[in-house]
Amino acid sequence: MSKVVGIDLGTTNSLVAYVKDGAPVVIRDESGDGLVPSVVSVAGDGTVHVGRDAERRLLTDAQRTAYSIKRFMGKGREDVRHEAEHFPFRVSGEAGGVVRIGLGEREYTPPEISAFVLRDLKRRAEEFFAGQGEFDNEVDRAVITVPAYFNDAQRTATRDAGRIAGLEVLRIINEPTAASLAYGLDKRHTGLIAVYDLGGGTFDISILRVEDGVFQVLATNGDTHLGGDDIDVLLMDTVLGDRARTAEDVQAVRQAVIQAKWDLSDREETTLNGRRFRRAEFEALIAPIVERTVGPVRQALADAGLEPSQIDEVVLVGGSTRIPLVRRRVEEIFGKTPHSELNPDEVVALGAAVQADILVTGNREMLLLDVTPLSLGIETIGGVVSKIIMRNSTIPASGSEMFTTAVDNQTAVDIHVLQGERELVADNRSLARFRLRGIPPMPAGMARVQVQFQIDANGILSVTARELRTDVEQTIEVKPSYGLTDEEVERMLLDSFEHAEADFAARLLIDARNEAEAVIQATEKSLRHPDFAAIEKDELAAGERQKIESVLAGLRMVLNSTDRETIQKWTHALNDATQHLAEVIMNRTVKAALSGRSVDDV
Amino acid sequence: MSSSTTATLQVCRECGAGAPLDAHFCPQCTKILPLGRPGDYFGFLGLPRKLNIDGADLERRFRELSRQFHPDYFYNASPAERRASLERSSYLNDAYRTLKNPAARVEYLLALEGFGAKGPQEASKAVPPALLEEVFALNEELDEIREARSGGAPADAWKPRLERARTPIEARRAAHEADLRNLSARWDALVDRGDAASERRTVLESLRNRILERNYINNLLATIARELGSHE
Repeated sequence: MSKVVGIDLGTTNSLVAYVKDGAPVVIRDESGDGLVPSVVSVAGDGTVHVGRDAERRLLTDAQRTAYSIKRFMGKGREDVRHEAEHFPFRVSGEAGGVVRIGLGEREYTPPEISAFVLRDLKRRAEEFFAGQGEFDNEVDRAVITVPAYFNDAQRTATRDAGRIAGLEVLRIINEPTAASLAYGLDKRHTGLIAVYDLGGGTFDISILRVEDGVFQVLATNGDTHLGGDDIDVLLMDTVLGDRARTAEDVQAVRQAVIQAKWDLSDREETTLNGRRFRRAEFEALIAPIVERTVGPVRQALADAGLEPSQIDEVVLVGGSTRIPLVRRRVEEIFGKTPHSELNPDEVVALGAAVQADILVTGNREMLLLDVTPLSLGIETIGGVVSKIIMRNSTIPASGSEMFTTAVDNQTAVDIHVLQGERELVADNRSLARFRLRGIPPMPAGMARVQVQFQIDANGILSVTARELRTDVEQTIEVKPSYGLTDEEVERMLLDSFEHAEADFAARLLIDARNEAEAVIQATEKSLRHPDFAAIEKDELAAGERQKIESVLAGLRMVLNSTDRETIQKWTHALNDATQHLAEVIMNRTVKAALSGRSVDDV
Repeated sequence: MSSSTTATLQVCRECGAGAPLDAHFCPQCTKILPLGRPGDYFGFLGLPRKLNIDGADLERRFRELSRQFHPDYFYNASPAERRASLERSSYLNDAYRTLKNPAARVEYLLALEGFGAKGPQEASKAVPPALLEEVFALNEELDEIREARSGGAPADAWKPRLERARTPIEARRAAHEADLRNLSARWDALVDRGDAASERRTVLESLRNRILERNYINNLLATIARELGSHE
C-alpha cells in the first residue's frame, strides 16, 4: 500500500511527517534535519535546486532563486506590486492575471514553484520509506496545510501545487487547527484553546473548543501578509539604507539580519552590520509588527463570543513565536503562559500527518470541524455584496441564492462571486465570474434559477445551478479571477520534469490525435457544405469525393490506435486529399464576400 | 397555518428501502441517505419544534451527528455516499448555527410556520408601529446633537445627551427580550398540548412583531454606538 503523509508547506520552511504506530513523526534527512527551506533555484543549465542547496545559491545566483513564494500563491499581479521590489527574482504577469515568477529564461506560476518544494518532500519521504525496507515506498497522497486565513484562491493554488507535484491532495487543512490536533494527541483535553500562529509570512489566530475528541473551531482570523519576513525586511531596510547593492549583497544582509533575529531570542545582544545590537532596540523596532496581531486576536475572540480570560490554554505555533516579545504580548492578552512543549516549527506537519491518518484509516477517535475564514457573497445591483455564507461558518457549508432573468428569452445570467467582509464589491476579493447558460427561454422574471454554493471540508468553493421551473441543471463556466484552469494545471503536470519523460510519448500521441480530429472535422464540414452538390458537379474531378470519403474512413479507423506514426500518415493523406476541395470552397467564399452576398446565396 | 407534512417516507437510492423522513441512514442497508428532502432543522437534530433549547444538549447532538456524517469518514466510500455525507454535514452545520442563536431560531420557526418576513427589507425599512414614538424622539435628538457637534460643541457637551437617549431604547430591548421569552414559553406549551390552531396563530403573530421590533431596536442601538464611536 502506498504511503500517505502530512505536509506543512511553509513560507520559509516545509516539512513532511507521517503516522507510525499511531503517533506522528517528522521525516528527517541523515543529519537529523526535518526542515526543507522553501527555496527553489533554477541554474543556468536548467538544473533545479531545492531546499538548503537553493538557499546557498541566494548568495551566488540570487536572481535565479525564489523564496517566500507562499506570499504569491493565489495572487494577482496588482496584489504584489509593492513588495515585489524586496525580492531578487522577477515578478510579472498580465494585468488581472496570475503572478509569474521569472527565474532565468523561464517564467513559473507560484504553484509550479511550490510544486518543486513538494516534489522534494515527496522524494525525501520515499527515500525514507525505502530505507525502512518498505516494499511499496511510493508517496502519492498527502494532506497539505494552509494558513487558516487563506482565501479560496490561495487554497486552490495550494491544491494545484500538490497536483502538479504528482500528489493526490486528500485534504487542505488549516495550520492552527493541525497544530491543535498534534497537541491534543496525548492528553484528552476538554476546554477552550487559542492557537496563535505567527510564521514566516502569515499570521493566524484560531479559537477552538475541544470536547469528546471533536476539535471544533469557533472563530478564526488573521493576516496572510504578516510574519517573520516583515521583520527581516524592516531590519534589512535599517542596515541597507539607500545604498545600491547587488542582489547577492542584499541576500547576504538578509541572512545576517535573520541570524541576528535568531540570536536575540536567546541572548540580550548580538552584532549586526559590525555593531552591537541589543534586544531592547530590536523589540522597539518590531513592536508595531507584533502589535498588528492583536486586532485579529480580539476579533476572533469577539466572533467566538468569548473573553480572553475564558481561554483555558494558549498554543504557540510558527518560528516567529520564538521571539520573546511575541511570547510576552500573547501572555499579556490572555493572562496565561502559552504552551510551547512541541517544536513550533514541526507541530503543524505533525497535525497534518494525524489528519492524513484519519482520512485513510477511518479512525474516528478525533474529528476536526473547521470554519471558513471569510464570508462568501455575490455582486448585486450597485456594486454591493450580498453575503451568502458568513465567516466562521462550520465547513462544509452551503448556501443558495435565487436568480431570475431581466429580459424576455434571456438564456444566460452573469454572476460574480466574492470573498471578504466589506460592503462594496471593490473592497472584497474577487473569486470568480460565472456565466449561467442554458436557461430555457421564457418571459422576463419567470425563470427561477437556484444557485447553490458549496464550501467543502477543504474550504474550497464549488457552484451548481438549477432552473426550478424546468428542473434543468445549468452549465456553469468558471473563470477563476486569480487561479489556474484545470487545463493549465494538467499541462503543468505534464510539463513537470518528473513526468515529462514518461509522458512525452503519450503527449505526442495526444497531439497527433488532436490534429487528426481537427482535420476530420474540417473535412466533414466541407462535405456538408450547403452547395456541395453544385461544387462537386462544377469543380471536382471525377472520383474526388469518393477518394476523400475513403481516406476519411481510413483515418477514423486508425484514430484510436496507439500508433502515432500511422495516425499522422493518414492525417497527412486526408489533408492532401481535401486540399483541392478546401481551395474551391475558399474561393467561393471570397467571391461571395466581394460581391456582397452571403455564402449561402452563392 | 399548521405544519402539515405531506410525505412521511424517503427512499434509499442504494437498496430501495423506505426510511422515515428524519432518518440519516437507511434502516435496511445502513448506508448514509442522500439529503433529498430534509424535514427541517428541528427534526434533523431530533428535536421537537420548540423554542426553548438546552445549549449543552444541542452541542452534544451536533457533535454526535458530525461524527456520523463528516466527509472525513467517507473518504473511501462510493461517490454517492460522499455526496450524501457532504450534503448532510452542510445541512447539519446550517441547522446547528441557526438553532444555536435564539433570535435566528425564532425567525426560522416563523418561516417554517409560514410567518416569515416577506423579504430582507421588511425587517429594516418600515418603523414598527409600536416604536414610532421612540424613533421619532431619537431622530430629533440625533439631529440636534449632530447640529451641535458641527457647530463645534465639545464631546462632553453632547456625549451625555447621546447616552441619555440610549437609556429608554435599551430598556425597550430588555422588555422585548422578556416578551420573547414569555412568548417562546407559550409556544412550547402549545406544542406540548397539540392542536389549538388559532392560539398558535396568535402566538406566532406576536412573535413575528416582537422579532421585527427587536431587529429595528438593534439597528437604532448600532446607530447610537456609531455616533458615539466615530467622534472619540
